[in-house]
Amino acid sequence: MNETRERIALLSKALDLMTDRPIRVMEVCGTHTVSIFRQGLRSLFPPSLELVSGPGCPVCVTDQGEIDAAVSLAGIKGVTVATYGDMLRVPGSGSSLVNERALGRDVRVITSADQALEIARNEKTRLVVFVAVGFETTAPSTASVILDAHREGRGNFTVLNLHKAVPPVLEALASDKNIALDALLLPGHVSVILGLSPYRFLPEDHGIACAVAGFGAEDIMLALVEVVRQIREGRPRVASLYSQAVREEGNCLARDLIDRVFEPCDSSWRGLGNLPLSGYGLREEYSSIDALKRLEISINDTSPPSGCSCGEVLKGKMLPRECALFGRLCNPSHPVGPCMVSSEGSCAAHFRFSRGGDHPWKH
Amino acid sequence: METLTIGHGAGGSLTQELVSMILGRFPGNPVRDREDCAILPEGIAVTIDGYTVTPLTFEGGDIGSLCICGSANDLSVRGAKPLYIALGVIAEEGFPLGDLIRFMTSAAGVCSALGIELVTGDTKIVPRGQADGLFLTTCAIGRIGTHSGLGTSNISPGDVILLTSPPGMHGATIAASRYGLKVEGLSSDCAALWPMIEKLLPLEGLRCMRDCTRGGLGTVLCEWAESADIGIEIDETLIPWDEATVSVCDLLGLDPLHMAGEGCAAIVISQEEAADALELAKKHPLGKRASVIGSVTGEHPGYVGIHTASGGTRLVDKPVGEELPRIC
Amino acid sequence: MCLAIPHRIIRLFDDKRALASAGAVETEIRVDLVPGLEIGDVVLVHAGFAIERLREEQGQEIEALWEEVRRMAGIVHE
Repeated sequence: MNETRERIALLSKALDLMTDRPIRVMEVCGTHTVSIFRQGLRSLFPPSLELVSGPGCPVCVTDQGEIDAAVSLAGIKGVTVATYGDMLRVPGSGSSLVNERALGRDVRVITSADQALEIARNEKTRLVVFVAVGFETTAPSTASVILDAHREGRGNFTVLNLHKAVPPVLEALASDKNIALDALLLPGHVSVILGLSPYRFLPEDHGIACAVAGFGAEDIMLALVEVVRQIREGRPRVASLYSQAVREEGNCLARDLIDRVFEPCDSSWRGLGNLPLSGYGLREEYSSIDALKRLEISINDTSPPSGCSCGEVLKGKMLPRECALFGRLCNPSHPVGPCMVSSEGSCAAHFRFSRGGDHPWKH
Repeated sequence: METLTIGHGAGGSLTQELVSMILGRFPGNPVRDREDCAILPEGIAVTIDGYTVTPLTFEGGDIGSLCICGSANDLSVRGAKPLYIALGVIAEEGFPLGDLIRFMTSAAGVCSALGIELVTGDTKIVPRGQADGLFLTTCAIGRIGTHSGLGTSNISPGDVILLTSPPGMHGATIAASRYGLKVEGLSSDCAALWPMIEKLLPLEGLRCMRDCTRGGLGTVLCEWAESADIGIEIDETLIPWDEATVSVCDLLGLDPLHMAGEGCAAIVISQEEAADALELAKKHPLGKRASVIGSVTGEHPGYVGIHTASGGTRLVDKPVGEELPRIC
Repeated sequence: MCLAIPHRIIRLFDDKRALASAGAVETEIRVDLVPGLEIGDVVLVHAGFAIERLREEQGQEIEALWEEVRRMAGIVHE
């Protein structure tokens, strides 16, 4: 056995010995979800430790109406849609960006907001729509590029802004009596920007044990040990276990950028509905960059696909395999809901790595 | 209207659905087997493959070398010596002639090294915009030699899985180039496997082989588990990873088990002869990093498990469609 | 939700851009969210932007936790 495996085995043993009661932990970061699955960590958890996946994937929580708007924009003559690979397969009510690309629309995959602006600089006859998704980790990069475009007077660059905020959704989850969370694994990279103080209400007002965690197997196992310890001692707090990257105060410059370009607004979350002040709206000053205004497209309210329980899954109220559509009618080849679309969505992760629990390494 | 997407061509489950749909239009046609190539009467092996790589030239090869290696490898992994090639060229109007000549020279180089004859071909030029530069199609024909019975149906519990080289290098090279990453030491593994495989064929315990192209090592293992109704377990720490490939995958959020190789074969061999096979493979430059990565089990038929570097275990699955870079 | 990978700064072009390496990959990144970087610094990069400078120390919390783990698992730490 190599050294890593020995250390993880030790953590697993300690976790098993410590977990002397049923404990419900939610991880709210899709990168944690994927990391836990990819490394097979679930097979190392004690049976009484239940880990549920929360709304930690910005693609999963992007409302169907927002996807429809992106699809409509892609259909406009002269428009180039630039967005992250994660967004391509997400189904709207009728189509998806990957479908639109197959029909000949100009949809490009970028890996940085900077590349979207670069397309606008290089191809002046195209109107670029950057479909900007993500939480606080991603919003500063969008803000920075919007400021660049504004400064340059780059008239052919616009943004379909779908950024969302993490603390308000945690507030909604923590207040929901039906969810009954004992602990939260807080998202490491959102915390890099936000710091620790926006999470203090979780232990203080709701008694929820919290740990900000990194993404390696050891980081995640240690964070679980930490929250279980808090629960045993009856002293919930926000433990910072990712201090290489997360400062107490966060990245102030990045937050200032967010504040310069965006203002809090109500936002619709797929499955969770409209949550007050949970989105980042473009400030009036930058309305010329707003793709919706420039191209006169609006985001319509849509009802979720029939039978889809993504909302319940996102809230941790239902396991993916408990959804009636899971596996047969909704699978990664033919996703119905957003949790199946993103490779880190909880349903896709469950399907890919454990087919919903129906495999030899479940517990 | 349902249309084809890039995912239908990516080698995962969407591709499988498409192929089944096409085969369904040929009722009564005996589909011999779903392996890399078909074996016709008298040991004649045949395969056909289209090549549509972007960029056309990449670190470690180009579309010319790829179109010969790829089809020759499909024959080789069934124990057939590649003998003849038929080549179809579809080029877009305006494509530089010099480039075409360069790719053909590189194709010819692989042919002559392997003793393959180009026996027939076709060229079509289509109006600008109707093809992306250059598409090549090769049909390779060969003959089964010493080992005639290679195939998925031979796999049985207790057998050993051997991998001849690091997985995913070609896919990572193409992805890096497509997304503008400069990667020190990253190169496609595009190579003809026949010279190495030829040495392994005398082993009687050889069950079957596959080159881990579209869909990667993960897809090959899953298809074996499903079609032979056996279980497979591999160990992540025994896979001979290529560091540059892993870096690219980490950065773009891709799974190296799903990335294509073009000179990497997975081999199932009896436990008794596994050590001999490993030694033979390691003697050849293409197999110098060969490694036993796991084994076949009678438990959990249809499923592939991987023991991870952290000591956990999880399921390996096929990719769904096109592998897209993630920021999340 | 946010994939971020450590990169080492190789060259600073201006106050916005730098060349950085992650493993074998060299890539141009934006550095305007993390001012005052120097060559050799390691930053966390998300979607092409450095979001923070990484510190080397693990922090006392982690050390204390490991103590707890060893104690729980019955290994007395000498």
